[in-house]
Amino acid sequence: LYLNFAKDNKLASFLQAYDQHLNMILGDVEETVTTIEIDEETYEEIYKSTKRNIPMLFVRGDGVVLVAPPLRVG
Amino acid sequence: MEVSHSVKERTIAENSLVILLQGLCNRVTTVELRDESTASGRVTNVDAFMNVRLAEVTFMDRQGTLCHLDELFVTGRNVRYVHIPDDVDIRATIEQQLQAIHRVRYFGGRDKGRKEFPRTKHR
Repeated sequence: LYLNFAKDNKLASFLQAYDQHLNMILGDVEETVTTIEIDEETYEEIYKSTKRNIPMLFVRGDGVVLVAPPLRVG
Repeated sequence: MEVSHSVKERTIAENSLVILLQGLCNRVTTVELRDESTASGRVTNVDAFMNVRLAEVTFMDRQGTLCHLDELFVTGRNVRYVHIPDDVDIRATIEQQLQAIHRVRYFGGRDKGRKEFPRTKHR
């Protein structure tokens, strides 16, 4: 399952539980944080991405923007 | 098992996943806040609105500055994630919390005591 969060955070994980506020319990989470840095001199945009793995996570529904099934290749 | 003293909080908790967080009392966890700072410590209390009280806390703000606090209160709205320790059985924890609420609710037996949700007499 893929979840897209507020402020450019993505989570990929298995959904274990949810409630009506979209609070969720996720197992085996891989979090990807994307940031854009702008070089002061050249004004180039540099995309940076950091990943993190967390075994079990509770997520508050406030921050959830998108919930989607895994993308199938082809 | 600390059950809230308020009927409103009990019903909110009973019908949502906050009840799992309430079952994490006395566990050491990490709470990540909306503004990307983190607080690691022992959970002393969580209410139905997800306000979290922690003890013996290491607080790291967005810049990475660490600070040690004896107690910390985080407003529910500011919580982004809560790390759940590996040794927690989620289903069992939730069931234990629900049982604690039911014990409080049905205290005194069927015909005694003030009822939380009185049976309707007329329809």
